[in-house]
Amino acid sequence: MTDYWLSKLFFDLQAPGAGADYRADRSKVLARYPLAPEVRAAILADDVSFLAQRVNPYLLRYYFGAAGMSDEVFRRKLREGASEVKHG
Amino acid sequence: MAELVGAFAASHAPLIARDWHLLSPTRQQEITTAYRELGRRLAAVRPDVIIELSPDHWTNFFLNNLPSVCIGVGDTHEGPAEPFMKDFPYKPLLGHTPLAQHLVKSALAQDFEPSISHRLTLDHGFCIPLWRMELKQLPAIVPIVINDLEPPMLSIRRCLAWGKFLARAIALFPERNLRVAILATGGLSHSIGEPNMGAIDEDFDRACIDAFKAGAEGPLVELLEARMEAAGNGTHEVRNWVIAHAAAGSRGFDLIDYRAVPEVYVGCGYASWRV
Repeated sequence: MTDYWLSKLFFDLQAPGAGADYRADRSKVLARYPLAPEVRAAILADDVSFLAQRVNPYLLRYYFGAAGMSDEVFRRKLREGASEVKHG
Repeated sequence: MAELVGAFAASHAPLIARDWHLLSPTRQQEITTAYRELGRRLAAVRPDVIIELSPDHWTNFFLNNLPSVCIGVGDTHEGPAEPFMKDFPYKPLLGHTPLAQHLVKSALAQDFEPSISHRLTLDHGFCIPLWRMELKQLPAIVPIVINDLEPPMLSIRRCLAWGKFLARAIALFPERNLRVAILATGGLSHSIGEPNMGAIDEDFDRACIDAFKAGAEGPLVELLEARMEAAGNGTHEVRNWVIAHAAAGSRGFDLIDYRAVPEVYVGCGYASWRV
């Protein structure tokens, strides 16, 4: 299930300076997008596995890198999320 | 008439640029040697133009406009845009509008429907191989974006058809003695942003290489249709290799190098086809 506005947010953050603006004030940037409340909450909680089900994996990877998450932590969260889904 | 003088393929892992300083000297040397050999072979066929096949990593296109195939017809291309590509040495990136427009017109006349762009930004997918081959002078580039990132994507059989089309169209381009090479970038197996991110399916990669070497299209199609999906989302970029394979006549290729490189998350392959 693709979430268009979540994807758009991640896509837009690739623009020069956009990542820095986002890291400085997440809420201000998020307010520009009509995100569902649970999606917005997942963004603020860095809920990788929730967001992974709603966006292209390349955009997901780009976003968490731009948000400052290391690849090591990102990969661990992806694995943990998949394991939770698998085991219910 | 123009002439297809060579067809080549190379991986384009962005960490080859972004994390180059983190790679061991041995790994750096392995990667450098492979790209240099590819560059040596490409330079040896003296191309005037490179038709380059690569995905767009959400640089030009988004979900509101996502072509399966887009041909860059501009006389200049932008890029690369990624900060880790800031030292890319070939700027501006020149295009070849007459050949690109010929490809578009020929495609439409033969029941292919590419989109076109007069100003593409070429990302690391296009630019890392161009950079690392260390060519003294970069030929003009006709970029063709293949959607390898967001389903639905071209079927493998359609990729073969595109390759054959490109070979026909190049041969019919009216400029005399224009030497054209094809460079496919991406692959082999890798997984990005998925739970198994970083996994490399060496068994698949070896099977894939064997199928390309052997040349025959049927077994290659069977292999890719059966196993490409499970080998990681980045593995879809092998579509670009399939197009180059068919353009070169499906006669098999010479493997320059292959090795799994976990530091860059990619099974890195380099090859030149027998044209």
